[in-house]
This record gives sequence, structure tokens and C-alpha cells, in this order.
Amino acid sequence: MRHFLKKKSIMVIAFLLAVVTVFPLFAQYANAEELPYDPYAYDYWEDVVHTPAAYTPDRMVIGNDLMLDGESIGAFVTPQDLCKDAEGNVYVADSGNNRIVVLDPTMTEAIRIYDSFDNEGTEDDFSNPTGVCVTERGWLYIADSLHRRIVILEVESGALVSIVENPTSDVLEENYVFTPLKVSVDYADRIYCIAQNMFEGIMVFEADGEFTGFFGTIEVKITLWEKFWRKIATKEERSKSQLFIPTEFTGIDVDEYGFVYATNIDSEGLQAVRRLNPKGEDVIRQGENENVGGDLWIAGATDYSGPSQITDVVYRGKGIYSLLDRRRGRVFTYDHEGNLLYIFGGLGTQEGTFMAPVAIEEVGSQIVVLDSTRAAIFCFESTEYGTLINEAVALRYDGDETLAVEKWRRVLMLNENFELANVGIGKAYLTAGDNEMAMHYLRIGMNREYYSIAFKRYRNDILEENLEYLLTGMMVIVVGYFAYSKYKEKHGKKEGAANE
Amino acid sequence: MSKYFSKEKWKYLWYTLSHPMDGFYWIRRKDKGSVPIAILLVVLFSVSFSLNRYLASFVVNDINPLSVDAFTELLGVLLLYTLLCVGNWSVTCLMNGEGRLKDIAIAIGYGMLPMVLTYLPATIISQAVASDEEAFYFMLIGISVAYSFILILIGIMQVHNYTLGKTILTLLITLIAVFIIIFLMLLLLDLLGQVYTFFYSIYTELLFRA
Repeated sequence: MRHFLKKKSIMVIAFLLAVVTVFPLFAQYANAEELPYDPYAYDYWEDVVHTPAAYTPDRMVIGNDLMLDGESIGAFVTPQDLCKDAEGNVYVADSGNNRIVVLDPTMTEAIRIYDSFDNEGTEDDFSNPTGVCVTERGWLYIADSLHRRIVILEVESGALVSIVENPTSDVLEENYVFTPLKVSVDYADRIYCIAQNMFEGIMVFEADGEFTGFFGTIEVKITLWEKFWRKIATKEERSKSQLFIPTEFTGIDVDEYGFVYATNIDSEGLQAVRRLNPKGEDVIRQGENENVGGDLWIAGATDYSGPSQITDVVYRGKGIYSLLDRRRGRVFTYDHEGNLLYIFGGLGTQEGTFMAPVAIEEVGSQIVVLDSTRAAIFCFESTEYGTLINEAVALRYDGDETLAVEKWRRVLMLNENFELANVGIGKAYLTAGDNEMAMHYLRIGMNREYYSIAFKRYRNDILEENLEYLLTGMMVIVVGYFAYSKYKEKHGKKEGAANE
Repeated sequence: MSKYFSKEKWKYLWYTLSHPMDGFYWIRRKDKGSVPIAILLVVLFSVSFSLNRYLASFVVNDINPLSVDAFTELLGVLLLYTLLCVGNWSVTCLMNGEGRLKDIAIAIGYGMLPMVLTYLPATIISQAVASDEEAFYFMLIGISVAYSFILILIGIMQVHNYTLGKTILTLLITLIAVFIIIFLMLLLLDLLGQVYTFFYSIYTELLFRA
């Protein structure tokens, strides 16, 4: 009997061991361990928190795989920019090959190549086109950098519409050489152009190609300490020291209201993107961490540390925009309030990591990133987590906070610590009148303002419910005090009398 | 033990709280104070400080609970207390101060009483405070800190029989002295470390050769 028991227990243990070792093989989450990067985000305390992946690498598009009329179009050479049109076709500025390649929305084949155009009877071409932009009207804007001009073509026919070159103005130097790098166009066909060595800001051209001025100048920040040193430095030293010039813009995008999103490389890593209103003023909101500059953990002295270098921005609708960092190869996504939603991407040579990311765009549900060194386009597909966040943020942007709650709940199932989701649910409880639950969620979501409102209501409820006990208690104390003092008075008198 | 914690000494602590000028004067002249009570107050202050940081309500508290460590904070407070006492003592010795080290220790320790008394009630009050009423909480804390500071100032002044101006001057010099002490300590520690590694390397060398 005893022997049998022993044998049985050994078998049970063996079975359990087998289950423990084999089961995880089936329970593995898709992709979680195959991702070439660690998805993370920053919380209220500015600590790194690991999150589920919002986007996972889907595939990689290289020039050799793309067919046009049965022939491969050949590898990209240092491509610098990409954009998409209303139908979802993707335009790649293949700078090293002096051409613009158009891909179909699935990015499996090339539709067309623009490498020359008819310039008043003569054949003309491009030289290092670094920027490209398509408008709804069907015009293609090409920053033809080494020909020092912006070429505007008709997408359908490939015919020349106009050429913007040699801008003249009082504010420009006499011998100014116009080298456009990036170009973007708003609904009124105004052209916003980032030009090389143009520190005054973004150059704006009217629809007819006339240069009208600068836009969104970045002000130079000089600290008190630097001022002090410049004061005590001699003239010679001052002339040798570094000039305080504003940083150049790096990437540009225009949203549906005509607000311009423009990125620059911020040496402090605090604000790498501006949202410029039509007057050129920055109206971006910076969220609870007061930061729209990429990574918060930037300490260190290696090549891999330091503030993020944001090279491009894509406005993705509903107030959501993504920034592309070339220092650590990450994509940061923010909502309209400047709250960080998710981070993905990294440097490397695996699929889904970059070496020199230069441009970012959203095509369908995918985020695509152009890498100039690897001469490839990387597509990222949103996961359930990413999709839910996008949808919830979009609903909140439209004011449908109640509809967003269901999404937020599902987000919380995937990532319990996501603060925006907790705040969203907390606010819903607050509207529904469940103050205790509201307090719980708003506390986790670190939202003091709404927590305080919920707390106040909760406190009033408690006071109201227990009013009779409170009043009775106070009565008892008051009566007790009087009785005691009366008693003491009497007693004291007696004692006093005795003493006398 | 009973000498240090006698009823008389406790009573005198409360007297000092309300009559700092007289209180500290007689602490120096007639040994009315007690160093153990002063140290106890410092420890209590450290505990209530940590409790406040950890337990104060979410509305008024912007401290990451993960960063609160009562033991490190206790060590830090005690170290700072020792440094201040020794620093002040070494400065006032040279500047005609009449106070002994134990008087300084009592002056600083007793001075912390207002903070000890208010931090815990403030933490409890904070549980019932909404964000537009948080001024009450911060006022309470602010008053207690200010009163503590005044008590310490008067304590140092009376113990050494200084004028107010000279007290403030010596306190500033005390801060410098504290920095010098820290610097020397670090230097000493570094040297000791080097001596240790020197002998340790001799030891390992012998071990390898033997």
C-alpha cells in the first residue's frame, strides 16, 4: 500500500513537471519575445515602464523587390523622404537616384517613377530631391535640393505646373543660396519649406511661388550662466566661442486645420516638436511631464545617450502625432494634450530596427519609416493594444468620453498601469456618480484635479450620512464639558472651603 | 536614566516651547535640559517626516511612495543633526560662544518639537482635504517649520549668549564648517580605502606566492 502511494505521488510529480515545462511553449504570446525592441513608456514619475507593443514590425520594402512594367526598379540610394496621397499611394524621394518613386497603397509594386519633366520644351531632371509632398489637388511638390528649387508637377500627367526658385526678399541676404530640404503644403496651397542653413525659421511661399516670409522662428535660449561668461569674456574669446544660433527644423507636416507640425533637434530634449498656428506661434500642449521631446532618460556620455534627435513628424489625425528619433531609432506617439501614448522601434540591423531613420508616414493602419542608410521602408502594423489606444484617444478627442471607456477597459486588461486609461475610466465613474470607484481610478491615473472633485463629493456623502452621529457626538462633548466644569467648580469650592 | 527623562525635564520642554528666550537661557545656566530627550525628538521628527511623506493624502502629496525609505531618512537626519551640532560647536568655540556641545545638541533637538507635534496631525488632516483647501495643510506645515527655525535660532543665541546678528553669522559659518567636515570625512574615507586596498593586495600577493 505504502509502496503504491509512493509510486503514485512520483507519477503525479512527474506529470506536473511535464506540464510546467511543456505548457509555456503553447502559452507563448505572439511576438512578445521575437520583437527586436523593448516597447516601453514613461509614467507620471518619469520612470520607464514596460508596456505591450503598440506596433510590431510587419515587413520591409526594398527597391529591388519593387516591379514596374515587369522590371525591378533597382535599389533605393539614400532615400530622404516619403509621403502619401489621398488614395494611399506612397511617394518616396529616392534622392541618390534622383527620382521620385510612387508605390501602390500596399507597397508591393511601383506604379510610376518621376525622374524627368518637360521644362518649357527642354527635358529637365532632378538633383538630389530630398523632400516630397502631394496635395489633394493632385500636385506633386519636390524639393530639388541641388538644383536649388522646388518643382511642382501634376501627378496625373507629370507635366510641370511651376518652379519655385531664387526667392528674393529684404530679409534674405544678397547672395543667398536656396537649398530646399523638406517641403509641405497646406489647404491653401501655401508652401512651407525647410531650407538648409536657414535658421530664421520655415520659409513660406504663396501659391504663386512668391516668398512671403519666415514662420515659427525658434528663439535662442541663453541661460544666465552663459550670459555671465560672455560678460566677463574678452572680445577675442567671445569671437572664438560658439555662436548662439537657433536650431534648424528637421521635419514638417500639416494637419487638417492648417496647423503646421515642425520638428527640430532640441539640445535639452524638452521640446522637439512645435504646432504652429497660422500666425507662426507655437500652440503645442506639453502634457503632464512637460515634455514633447522624446526620451526622458537621456543621461550619459555615450553615442547612444543624450536627448532624442527628432527628424520627422507625422500628424495622424484626431490630435495624434508621431515623432521619429534618429539617435535611438524610436517612434514616440503623443495625443493632442501632449501625453505620451506609446514608444516603439530601435536601432539595429534586424527587421523593424533602423540605422538612419529619416522620415515617417502613416499609410492605412500602418506606420511606415524610411531608413536612408538601409535604403528601405519599414512597415509597422498596430497591435490590439495600439489600436485600442488610438481609438480611445480619437473618441476622447471628439468628446465621446463615455464611448471611450469601453476601449480604455480593454487597454487596462493589456496594461494595467496605463495612466490615461485609468483617468478615462475614473472620469466615467465620476459622471456616473460612483465617487469611490472614481477616486480609485483617478488615483492610479495620477490625476489630482479630478481626484479632488471625486473626493469632495465622497466626503460630502459621508458627512451627510453620518450627520446625526456627528451632531449627537458634539452635543455629548459640549454637555459633558459643562457638567465637568460645573462639577469641578463645586468640588473646587468645597476644597477651597476646606482649605480656608 | 530617570535623571534624563524625569518629569521635571519633560515639563521644562513644554516651557521652552512657549518661552524660548528664558527656556534656553536656563538650559545653559542651570542644566534644565536633557540631551536624550533632544535626541529622542530628532528621531521622532525623522519618523514623523517619513510618515508624512508616505501617508499624506494624494491631493497634497507629490512624492513617489517608492522613494520613501524611513531608515535611510533616519540615518540622514541623525547625520545632519550630528554635523550641525559639531559644526556649530567648533565654530562657536572660536567665537566666544558660551554653549557646550550638549547645550547646542539640546537647542537644536528641542527646536524640532513644533515639527514633531504638527507633522502627524497634518498628515491626518490631509486625508480630509480637497485640492482647493490644501492651503490649510501647507500653512500648518509652513508654520511649524518656521517656528522650529525660530526656536533653533533663539536656542543657539541664548545658549551662546550672542546677539541675533552674531547668531546668524555663526550659523552661516557653521554651514561652511559642515561642508569642510564632510569634505574631510570623504578624504579620510578615501585614504582609508586606499590603505585597505594596499594591505589587501599585499595579502593576496603573499597568498599567491606562498
